[in-house]
Amino acid sequence: MGYDVKAVKRQWEGYETVRQWGRYPVEHEPIRRHCHMLDDTNPRFLEEGHCPPVMVDYFASLGPYPPADYDIFPVIRDIPTPGDRLINLNQEFEWFLPVKVGDRLGASHKVVAIHQRGTKLDPLSVWIRTETTIVNQHEELVARRTNQLLVHRTPEEIATGASRA
Amino acid sequence: MRDGPRWEHVREGDELKGFSLELTMTRMVAQVSGTQDFYPVHHDPEFARQAGHPDIFVNTAFIRGCLCRVVTDWMGVDGFLSALTFQMRRPNFVGETITARGRVRKKAAGGRVDLEVWIENAGQVTVPGTATVILPAAS
Repeated sequence: MGYDVKAVKRQWEGYETVRQWGRYPVEHEPIRRHCHMLDDTNPRFLEEGHCPPVMVDYFASLGPYPPADYDIFPVIRDIPTPGDRLINLNQEFEWFLPVKVGDRLGASHKVVAIHQRGTKLDPLSVWIRTETTIVNQHEELVARRTNQLLVHRTPEEIATGASRA
Repeated sequence: MRDGPRWEHVREGDELKGFSLELTMTRMVAQVSGTQDFYPVHHDPEFARQAGHPDIFVNTAFIRGCLCRVVTDWMGVDGFLSALTFQMRRPNFVGETITARGRVRKKAAGGRVDLEVWIENAGQVTVPGTATVILPAAS
């Protein structure tokens, strides 16, 4: 029997995780590592403790260790798909409040949509759209993020017709 | 970097100062350190090739960090980045050089400025995107 995307959609679309709080509060050191990887010398981030907006999901995450539990990976891992290789294709962020060192962030994730559409990588590629909601320690909405992920098989799996689901 | 533009002084078509980064192996290591994203397709060439890619490529958090930096470098301490969207149309691989750029697309009431932002690689836009910032008024 082939991959039943309709059954997967029925089971998973609308699934939402409970909110979990980031393992650590917003801290200087990860912000500095983020800036260093980009040669970003902005003193607002490096010295004054403002969180770069794109780091809010990092601080809202249980991760980074163990890697398999990082951000939305556990949710994606549990959705049956023919392959298990991931590519993030699109991302959309909306921010509502600034974040600073010392804040505590939490996140919940929702599976918005699942589709199957072939790609150059895999004719059985599965597209998963998720929405992540991030709040601060006052339960105020800080940011909303959507991701469009592609899940595909390896060339070896495609060649042998292997499918995990 | 500290003193960004005031809304009244911004013109549609204004260019944001961009920057380039060479994706050396050292930069790829900094990417993993900076994002704490240990998915092997971004640091393990063999894993990447097994998945059908020619080599390792930078991750989403690195890409969006570049786009964010273009905007935050420009908007100064009084601006607020309220939205960012982008599409990763082709991976940016180790050994390549990327350039992040931006341009003012539209102004609107309330201090709103809509931007185009993007990543170029070898003359090709690999990551197109948009951003919205709220800028302070001059007075």
